[in-house]
Amino acid sequence: MLETIVQAVINGLLIGGIYALVSIGVTLIFGVVKIVNFAQGEFVMIGMYISFYLATQFGIDPILSLFVSMPVLFVIGVLVQHFLIRRVLGPNDMPQIFLTFALSLLLLNLSLMLFTANYRTVHTSYSDEALHLGGLYIPVAKLIAFVVAMALSGALWVFLHTTDLGKAMRAAAQNRDVATLMGINPNRVFAVAFGAALALAGAAGSLLMPFYSAYPFVGQVFVLMAFVAVVLGTLGNVIGALVASLMMGVAESLGIQFVGADSGLIVVFAMLLLTLAFKPNGLGGGRVR
Amino acid sequence: MMTAAGKWKAMTLGLVVVVVLLLPQVVKSSFAIDIFIRILLFSFIGVAWNLMGGYAKQLSLGHAAYFGLGAYTSTIMQIDFGISPWIGMIAGGIVAMLASLPIGWLCFRLRGPYFTIATIATAQALMLIFLKFRDLAWGAEGTTIPNLGSSPLMMQFETKASYYYVVLGLLALGLFITHRIEQSWMGYYLVAIGEDEDAAEAIGVNAPRIKRDIYMLSAFLTALAGTFYVQYIYFIDPATAFSFNISIEAALVSIVGGIGTLWGPVIGTVLLETTSALLQSWLGSTTGGIQLTVYALILMAVILWRPTGLMGLVTDAYQRHRHRKPAHA
Repeated sequence: MLETIVQAVINGLLIGGIYALVSIGVTLIFGVVKIVNFAQGEFVMIGMYISFYLATQFGIDPILSLFVSMPVLFVIGVLVQHFLIRRVLGPNDMPQIFLTFALSLLLLNLSLMLFTANYRTVHTSYSDEALHLGGLYIPVAKLIAFVVAMALSGALWVFLHTTDLGKAMRAAAQNRDVATLMGINPNRVFAVAFGAALALAGAAGSLLMPFYSAYPFVGQVFVLMAFVAVVLGTLGNVIGALVASLMMGVAESLGIQFVGADSGLIVVFAMLLLTLAFKPNGLGGGRVR
Repeated sequence: MMTAAGKWKAMTLGLVVVVVLLLPQVVKSSFAIDIFIRILLFSFIGVAWNLMGGYAKQLSLGHAAYFGLGAYTSTIMQIDFGISPWIGMIAGGIVAMLASLPIGWLCFRLRGPYFTIATIATAQALMLIFLKFRDLAWGAEGTTIPNLGSSPLMMQFETKASYYYVVLGLLALGLFITHRIEQSWMGYYLVAIGEDEDAAEAIGVNAPRIKRDIYMLSAFLTALAGTFYVQYIYFIDPATAFSFNISIEAALVSIVGGIGTLWGPVIGTVLLETTSALLQSWLGSTTGGIQLTVYALILMAVILWRPTGLMGLVTDAYQRHRHRKPAHA
């Protein structure tokens, strides 16, 4: 019994690492640019298709294709920020919500036309490998994904806290007007934040590819998790999003283990509704906005 | 004595009413009437959404919850208890109204984009409930609604024209209610909340109560559409009744047409549904993705270049026209 629980917790933590990459992206954009990117899941999907085609056309390992998917998505992020998001920034919510929502709808349906609804998988030499520790079973592909995801999250934290650009981003997140007065160029900071968030989504896509199927709607699963994690972890808080994502992964995994195979989403919604009911400011406290 | 502008307005409205009433008598193609019914139905859903989403700017993407509750309430009453869907429709509206209370209590704790996400989650959660619990209502397979032939008392008609008039009646009801609200204190409170909720509260608007009330009304009307729709297609399952596309289209038609305006949702639906019908007839039915791709592009174009929607174009033109000859104003 204990072993089953530990196994479920491990499974949850491993997938929670991927949720964390998506959530950190959402919360980074929300913290710095002050908008919610409804299309974040679609960028995970694009990352997956990049890795899928690099693997099937050129035989590049999906994990290594991270070095392609991340820069490509960073550039896409800068372009999206510059040509679309920048034009709707302001006090009015409606255009912001529906612009990124329209982007999500567009990317999803374009990929449905380009790639069809078929499930695409990549089989690597380590896809079926697993470590056995005592009675526990740890799939290698998920372990690699988790380790890389944590490393990338850590790298982002170091970037935000030690580099000038990172500090400028945190300053702009705290108070955009004062940051501008201090000589920080908000457009540049926003573009980097958007690019970095999308690069993380691309990384999540590449890391998923050895053990998860790519299909046009795949992003919806992850973005839903990310939204709940971001509410749970207090909006705009990177560490909060990371911790909440790991918690959600564990909660989902325990739900699947003890309630039923397809109860994962129910657990997620239950967590969201309970959070809203009892802790609407998120577990970390702070203001709702 | 009516002003010249008022006279024009009344005449245009009268003409539209006559054309709309006579349409099914003139056009006999069942394909065309089907499209008209879709236009009227989604206009009505858009009008219901617009009351809350448009005037008070509470941007819900979860109205499928009420559409589905309306559809399921009337269908369960009809199949399990033999009660007419006309009564079921009202009952469904009341169920939706009651459901909007706890849902609103949860979702209104968040503002802006996170309110939107919370509404998506509640609608999805309701769909999951109807998918999982087979005892509640047929589970994932859904059920067909028994066809009783011509039975107006059971909301079943022989001709599509009759369905056309039913949904036309619903739309007229929605527009009438919106018009009345626009002219009342409620309308001003809604717009004040939509402009700036904190400022509205500061001048004494009871925002939580107003939002709750308008959400109940919006949910009630959306549920009526749900009942009508499943009676029209004779089939119900969770994926149809709680389809995310319903939530999307409700918001989309309002934004494209003109958010927070009386006729915006109608104009938006005419544009989007006509585009969709044209696409279908050009490209055939096997066009996965193309319709929503085009919708997404239209939505982006409107947001970037014309945030007031198509109604904004009309009012701008009217204003320019008035400025050219201001003598009578």
